[in-house]
Amino acid sequence: MAKITKEERKNGIISAALALFSQKGFYVTTIPDIAQKVGMSVGNFYNYFSSKEILAKELILYISDYLGKNLREINMKEITTEEKIQEIVSMYFKMASDKPEMIEYFLRVYLSNREVFGSDCAGMICVSSFVTEMMIFFEEGVAKGDLHNQDFFSAFGLFMGYLGGMVFLFGEALLPEPLKEYEESISLNIYNALKHRD
Amino acid sequence: MHLNTETKPKLLWLQGVTCNGNSHSFLNLESLEQLLDKFELLYHPLLASTFSLSEITSLQNSCDILIFEGTYDPEFTRNNIPLKEILPYYALHAEYIIALGTCASFGGMFQSLAPERNSGLLYKVEEEGGPLIAYKKRVINLSGCPVHPEWLATTLQMLLAKHTIVVDDLQRPRELYSSLAHHGCTRNEYFEWKVDTKGFGLKEGCLFYEQGCRAPLTHASCNTILWNEVSSKTRVGTPCFGCTEPSFPRTNYFQTKTNMSIPQDVPLGVSKRAYLTVAGMAKTFHIKRLEGVLIDYKRDH
Amino acid sequence: MITKEIIDHIEGEASLYFEMQEKRVDFVTVVFPHFRGMENMLKGKSALDALVITPRVCGICGHAHLMATVRAIEDAYKNSGHPIEVSNKAQNMRELTLTLEIIQNHLKWLYLVLIPQLNNFENITLSLTPLKGAYGASLATKALAILAGQWPHSSYMIPGGVTSDPTYIELMQLRAHLEKLSDFLEKETLGTTVQNFLSFESCKNFNKIASDVSSVEQALFDLRMHKKGFSHDDFIVLGEHRFTQIAKSRATRLYNVDITKVHVEDAFSPQEKSYAKNALYKNAFYETGPLARLISKDVKLIKNMHRRYKDSNYTRAMARIYEMVYLLQHSLDLVKEIDITQDSCTKSVTLSKVTAQGIGVVEAPRGPLIHKIKLKEGIIERYEIITPTQWNISSGTKLKPSPAQKAMIGLNKQDAEFVFRTFDVCSVCTTH
Repeated sequence: MAKITKEERKNGIISAALALFSQKGFYVTTIPDIAQKVGMSVGNFYNYFSSKEILAKELILYISDYLGKNLREINMKEITTEEKIQEIVSMYFKMASDKPEMIEYFLRVYLSNREVFGSDCAGMICVSSFVTEMMIFFEEGVAKGDLHNQDFFSAFGLFMGYLGGMVFLFGEALLPEPLKEYEESISLNIYNALKHRD
Repeated sequence: MHLNTETKPKLLWLQGVTCNGNSHSFLNLESLEQLLDKFELLYHPLLASTFSLSEITSLQNSCDILIFEGTYDPEFTRNNIPLKEILPYYALHAEYIIALGTCASFGGMFQSLAPERNSGLLYKVEEEGGPLIAYKKRVINLSGCPVHPEWLATTLQMLLAKHTIVVDDLQRPRELYSSLAHHGCTRNEYFEWKVDTKGFGLKEGCLFYEQGCRAPLTHASCNTILWNEVSSKTRVGTPCFGCTEPSFPRTNYFQTKTNMSIPQDVPLGVSKRAYLTVAGMAKTFHIKRLEGVLIDYKRDH
Repeated sequence: MITKEIIDHIEGEASLYFEMQEKRVDFVTVVFPHFRGMENMLKGKSALDALVITPRVCGICGHAHLMATVRAIEDAYKNSGHPIEVSNKAQNMRELTLTLEIIQNHLKWLYLVLIPQLNNFENITLSLTPLKGAYGASLATKALAILAGQWPHSSYMIPGGVTSDPTYIELMQLRAHLEKLSDFLEKETLGTTVQNFLSFESCKNFNKIASDVSSVEQALFDLRMHKKGFSHDDFIVLGEHRFTQIAKSRATRLYNVDITKVHVEDAFSPQEKSYAKNALYKNAFYETGPLARLISKDVKLIKNMHRRYKDSNYTRAMARIYEMVYLLQHSLDLVKEIDITQDSCTKSVTLSKVTAQGIGVVEAPRGPLIHKIKLKEGIIERYEIITPTQWNISSGTKLKPSPAQKAMIGLNKQDAEFVFRTFDVCSVCTTH
């Protein structure tokens, strides 16, 4: 039997925690619940994450890095800004479809229950890898002349608010079609809203 | 190639298209008398010299160090003789040629007046192609608008002392141009914590994010060798204009070019991702001590 | 026969075309052979860019250009319906740095131009200490840099005030440096205290001191400069400052002026193209600079000098020397009036809301400097600069000569060239 590395163990905890938070809710899920799902003792669990708060923070960093890494790949492609928007929407929706527990954690725990994170996640520190890539996307889009130059938060709010809203509706089972069906129209709406104006 | 210092080296100060700013800056040098004592001044636009302008433009002498101030325009005349005759004549036999100021180094302020033919001695903005490109090894660029007198004094003293002047890839002495104007700015702590100043007229706050300060992008020693021995632009709340770089003059001063509120240019050598990550993080924290004025004169006086 | 002399060491060059009549100047035209085209450079740029560009018109009076630009922009703000307020503190700071630039200019002219030129005359032996002049000037620019960051080429004046926010450290440093400058002048140049010098009412007072200034005064007399260099005896002052009185004067009688009556015309220079334009007021030539300013301020010594020696070269030269001290006292007074509790810079609407014309007028070292700006949504559509040397060193016709031309007529060549330099010519300014 191959020896499981510490890193793999850690990722195992993360997946288990996200799944449980998604099924039962953040507050209801306990450390013993997670430890049991992973198949380790509670004591050993604390070797990886010394508290639920620390775990909560590590989860958001994990998700942000995951999103950030994917966004970075898209940013570095030699494609048009319009195509990048399509790829970002597609990536986000795929994540929402394939790994709903990640987006759900972001929307329902991170955004909605800020008290969980205390001052350790003030501002955008814990989502910095993701936000930085969005900044790069916007900055380059304007520098290339493809996007209209405006306040960062106006553009960011439009893009992320829109995607978050769609995923929320999806999570509530209110969308008649699968998320994928909406990619094209949503990408076009975003592009039309943000593109360069004369 | 070194100066023969058994007799005083001959210094010739020539001008192209200029405002005289570098000449006047030079006169501010504290140790001016001691420095000039070490040279024979063949000609200078403000100071008395061995020869008159007439004699200099009759092209019969030679110099050891040629200082050229101003943009090079081959058709521009001194005493009715065009620079395209005067410059090559003196450059041929000079041991060293100093391009004094951004105009002489890269074209500078007056390059755009005749963009096809105007340039610095070696560079036309950033491209190699000035009149003395064949003599590149003998040319030292001291860019700046104007040049700080100590930069010229340091260079001349080094030449006299036969120290090798190591230059960067724009022929500027590394001693003077490897650090940034940003180093030593009194507002550095505000830069660290991304506390931007609001508007103008306050000594608190960093000028990079909104007021167009180019100091983190500009090679110069303005905040270590202070101007007039007392101050600098950024210390008095004026953003650095990047005047030592080939891209000077720029446009839209006093404001930072942003794309979606994000600075288009980030500090030299720092990747945009790195800068945004650090800036984003720093902006999250509110350091109370760095908010508001340091001394409230209105309240306390 | 017309002979050409090229004059250098005048912040650039100029050519004088002399028509001599028995070794006396019958007529002379002035040619400034260079042209840079900076007014054109400003077109299409943001108004604030002018704050960086116009100081580069001139290395010795760039600070005056900066102030003229900021005044022109603020005037445009006013004319667009958005007047900007500038606090007293900012106004005092601006005036103080402007005055210091004038002082350094005159000090340099005294030691780098006047004394060496006097020494060129036979029988005149003055001690040549040009570097002393440069040093004194550097004391003035050092004080200036405490507020403005650097000299040359500060851009610390912006619409609404100044960028600089001094504490008492800067203000006390400034005072100390001004006192140092004052001590320097007293010891090295005047041979008496500033106060005593400013109390002089008669030329005879110079006999009581022994210094560079008294030697210069004596030399001017020995060369009979009090009987040479007479010009139109018409003067004009246009810049509004606490040390000026805006007026035109016929000898010493003051009259009102209307800035809209200032105009420019091409120079008369049949031998060679001159790029400098003549500046006139109501189609007449007027002399500008220290003599004009001191007359308009009714300064006793200068008025007495003028009573005896009119607008001779003696009066002209001594006025420039005197103004140096006069303005030093003004600086010493001004620094005490900087109210640190006031704002350095007041906000206003964004530049893009400004579509209007504006005029900024400043007394530069040699006289009024006029900047006219035309803005459309904050972008420069048109920019015009009229420099003081365009007033004094216009090139007019024999029937209507400029101040400098008239002053040179009837003199031998050496005297004429000397008189020319006594106007303190700035070639770069005039060839913008």
